[in-house]
Amino acid sequence: MTQFFLFVGVGMCALVLLCLYRATYGPTVLNRAAGISAIGTKTLIILLLMGVIYDRIDMFIDISMVYALLNFIGCVVLAKYLETTGEVSC
Amino acid sequence: MTRASDDVIIKALARLLMPFIVAYALYVVMHGHHSPGGGFQGGVILAAGFVLLVVTHGLEQTRKRMSEKLAGVISSIGVFIYGGIGALCLILGGNYLDYGKLSKILLVTPAEARSLGILGVEIGVALAVMAVMYIIFFAIFTAGESPEDDGRAE
Amino acid sequence: MLVKDVISILFMLAGFFFFTTATLGLLRLPDFYARLHATGKGDTLAVLLSLVGLAVYHGFSLTSAKIVFIAVFMFLAQPTATHAISRAAFRCQIQPWTVAKGREK
Repeated sequence: MTQFFLFVGVGMCALVLLCLYRATYGPTVLNRAAGISAIGTKTLIILLLMGVIYDRIDMFIDISMVYALLNFIGCVVLAKYLETTGEVSC
Repeated sequence: MTRASDDVIIKALARLLMPFIVAYALYVVMHGHHSPGGGFQGGVILAAGFVLLVVTHGLEQTRKRMSEKLAGVISSIGVFIYGGIGALCLILGGNYLDYGKLSKILLVTPAEARSLGILGVEIGVALAVMAVMYIIFFAIFTAGESPEDDGRAE
Repeated sequence: MLVKDVISILFMLAGFFFFTTATLGLLRLPDFYARLHATGKGDTLAVLLSLVGLAVYHGFSLTSAKIVFIAVFMFLAQPTATHAISRAAFRCQIQPWTVAKGREK
């Protein structure tokens, strides 16, 4: 069972690398924001899988909850900033 | 940037999530010695809740709940709690932050006194970190201009 | 292999499948709104399925209650964050991609 979670975690890391392409080369800053948001959700699951593999899930669950919270707040603040300044072409 | 968002979805969700964010921050502060977290992390989560409030409900609403002056006072109180507990241990005959010596005034065993002392110090750290993060965010968000000058936020 | 392990594996595989489709959509779709549509919906469902799989694997305890709490939080927060970003894009007058526009190029 741990083996299975390990494989899923490795696959998730590969998906994070694919999302990193969009976050790096995305044509505008909005595409980068979408890529970073997608990376955040995948990182949440990777953290929990790490907790299962190391058998310390009660510890990793708190970290992942804070990660989800900060990801959400970061997204909202970034959206508000882009909406106010109106510069999204770079 | 400092005006309230005119989007009802984000405002409603922020209003819904705010008590849970604060409760979770208090949980992180209280459970600092069993799970990851502690004073600093709990303070940062509290400050993140205030950031969400500023972004969604505007600066005016947030200032009514917590002004810059109040944040300054709270940060001083936090540092005072931390230093006060440390100095109290010195007065009772131990080293600085030697919580075991607090058992004389708390009337518990030294092990329990150590746990309670760590909790007190973490509450002080959380208050200080929350207030200072809020002040830093406030200064960046308003770009150094206080909206009190002309009586309206923008 | 227990029954709950099988259920957990099924949920995790379904979650991984939706993560993969969401990532493919983020990479391949033509414009910003379409990409956000792929990740906004696909990632939310995938996170929910993966978290349910982990909760089933862990059994009934405080930890799985916290996992369910995270699932509820993500179910509320992820669509809202997507909505905030797409609203910012709409306010900045980014025009959606259409088939006719794609043919011109």
